[in-house]
Amino acid sequence: MIATIAAKEFRELVRDGRFRWAAVVVGSLLIVAALAGWTAWRTQAQTRDAAQSTMQAMWFNQPAKNPHSAAHYGLWAFKPQMPLGFIDRGVDPYTGTASWLEAHRQNEFRFRPAMDATAAQRFGEWTTAGVLQLLVPLLIILLAHGAFAGERERGTLRQLASLGVPARTLLIGKAVGIGGAMGLLLVPVAAVGAALVMRDSGADGLFRLFALGGVYFAYFTLFLVLTLFVSARAASARGALIVLLSLWAWNGLVAPRLAADMARGVAPTPTARAFSADVQRSLANGVDGHSPASTRNRLLQDSLLAAHGVSHVDSLPFNYSGYSMQRGEEHANGVFDHHFGELWAQYAAQDRAQLAGAVVAPLVAVRQLSMAIAGTDFAQHRAFADAAESYRRLLNKAMNDAIADHAAPGQGFSYLGDSTLWAGVGPFEYEAPGLGRVLVAQAPSLLFVTAWLFALVVTVRRERRLSVL
Amino acid sequence: MAYSPLLEARGLTKRYGDTVALDALDLGVNSGEVYCLLGANGAGKSTAINCFLDFVRPDTGSALIGGSVVADDPIGTKQRLAYIPETVMLYGNLSAVENLEYFATLATGTRPARPDLLKHLITAGLTEVQADQRVGGFSKGMRQKVGIAIALAKGADVLLLDEPTSGLDPKASNEFHGLLGMLRAHGAAVLMATHDLFRAKESGTRVGIMKRGRKVAELRTDEIGHADLEQLYLQHMHD
Ligand SMILES: Nc1ncnc2c1ncn2[C@@H]1O[C@H](COP(=O)(O)OP(=O)(O)OP(=O)(O)O)[C@@H](O)[C@H]1O
Ligand SMILES: [Mg+2]
Repeated sequence: MIATIAAKEFRELVRDGRFRWAAVVVGSLLIVAALAGWTAWRTQAQTRDAAQSTMQAMWFNQPAKNPHSAAHYGLWAFKPQMPLGFIDRGVDPYTGTASWLEAHRQNEFRFRPAMDATAAQRFGEWTTAGVLQLLVPLLIILLAHGAFAGERERGTLRQLASLGVPARTLLIGKAVGIGGAMGLLLVPVAAVGAALVMRDSGADGLFRLFALGGVYFAYFTLFLVLTLFVSARAASARGALIVLLSLWAWNGLVAPRLAADMARGVAPTPTARAFSADVQRSLANGVDGHSPASTRNRLLQDSLLAAHGVSHVDSLPFNYSGYSMQRGEEHANGVFDHHFGELWAQYAAQDRAQLAGAVVAPLVAVRQLSMAIAGTDFAQHRAFADAAESYRRLLNKAMNDAIADHAAPGQGFSYLGDSTLWAGVGPFEYEAPGLGRVLVAQAPSLLFVTAWLFALVVTVRRERRLSVL
Repeated sequence: MAYSPLLEARGLTKRYGDTVALDALDLGVNSGEVYCLLGANGAGKSTAINCFLDFVRPDTGSALIGGSVVADDPIGTKQRLAYIPETVMLYGNLSAVENLEYFATLATGTRPARPDLLKHLITAGLTEVQADQRVGGFSKGMRQKVGIAIALAKGADVLLLDEPTSGLDPKASNEFHGLLGMLRAHGAAVLMATHDLFRAKESGTRVGIMKRGRKVAELRTDEIGHADLEQLYLQHMHD
């Protein structure tokens, strides 16, 4: 019976000119968005790879120079392009994708397109994920809002009900039929996506695409069943449409914004100015605020001289400049750990608070999942930032240690390092977290989506009697 | 009565706010009977039929089909039933055969073969050419014929008809009642709401006259002439 109902819904929709138009428009939008995103992604990937190897070569090919100058010369770390980055750009436009690694400071990320974009551009940028999250649900609503209410108005629902078809069978059959028609539009899009992913990323990309497809399948199913449920309950197709459009706007536009605002209220973050002022203050006076650099240096000198039983730093068995620079670096690292640690913790708290919004709007959880699977969520941005920072510290320590160990007393700044030293640091290598780890980390979002589906299924199962008049 | 009627109303009562749509209605329709419900607009005829379909739940009393209470088993009691309202509503962008195929498959659980579907449509009075046309352009009479074909395909022996011929031209109406007679002869129990006293007398075996939700008279059609039935009806409408 379900198959019969589904087949008839499918046939009717496919014969409907409005459906054909809408499917062509939304399908083209999706494919255009995917192709455009992919083109930009590829260009960026090539630029990134080229820049990364140029950077690395420049580092290795430095002429003999003082290691501390080399550390100041610094190098860029570029975030790798993730296989599905072209489908969902996630937080990249806001956080940036490259970090300048240099002596003495943990830098903020650069290359943040959102910073340069006007408000209109930001709104006008349709990523594939954006179309999937907002336009496809809208299409589902437009196609399915009359599934019951319209039949009730036309009187065919009475004819159906008089046959002894259970309401639930009817609902499932309609869901399958309309879902099948949606498949006509979405399957080609998925195929285009798979072809693009296959070209550059192979199996890992495909697994991610499957996972992403699963998430969006659940999201669309949710919308379809919700639409049918509202349609079954509504007095008229118009009424159903109004209710559903309100729910759509709430889920897609209002609730995510509210959740983000609320999250910022719950876990506020300082402005960039205030943050860097705080960092500067702590660098100068210590995290406790009472140990200025001069005091720290005097204490360090005194303790070293006492420990080695000498009266001048030039008599120490190592180069004092190199040693003290590393100590200064470690002091700064403590300061960065403290301040960035607090900042990251606030961002993580914001993410968690924001996810609570999924209780009232499933899109909040879906958006999280989509970014995470695409490898562009905040947690993965942080994983990269941490790796880049570790590399920066490793590099600085190697430079300072070289001075401490090899420079003649008092000659710290005239000592020259060579290519063995540069090469000894090794290249910056970063492996993004795999799909499995990402999904484990996304357990809360997955739980929210599952809970939504479950709640809807339970509600539908309880729906025994269909109002036909 | 030695056996329980196929269709039975026991004290059916339904109120909408202050209006009493049904007021302790009792009636029974046996196999081979056509029971015609007469009464002014708003008398409660449609409400009574809708109680048998579980479209309306009675406040008190119950509607029974084949001895089962409709409200307790709304799906089961529909298995042998066919419903033809004033205008049979169909899917405009499907053809008559496709409509019939859909409804018949849902009703019986198996997909009938095309020749069977065509046979039912032709029995109901459509031509083979019409059978493959989309019903969007069908006249009311043609839609009613598809309704009959659905009843035939389902093999229904309980028919609930709510003014099925109102607005049909006399020839179409005549054909419709001819088919009804055939179904009755095969043992169907028919409950039909109508305003057509002439047809009630011609095709009905019994008539019940309703007023403000109550049955005020009930008689066998072979006991009374056309003129007398009209006389009786008008008399009830006056007081
Ligand atoms: N959904 C409803 N809400 C409120 N009142 C209703 C509703 N359905 C029916 N009624 C009222 O119940 C009464 C009986 O209506 P019903 O449709 O059964 O009459 P009827 O005999 O079929 O009339 P007609 O000959 O016009 O078809 C009327 O007074 C009607 O206004
Ligand atoms: Mg009526």
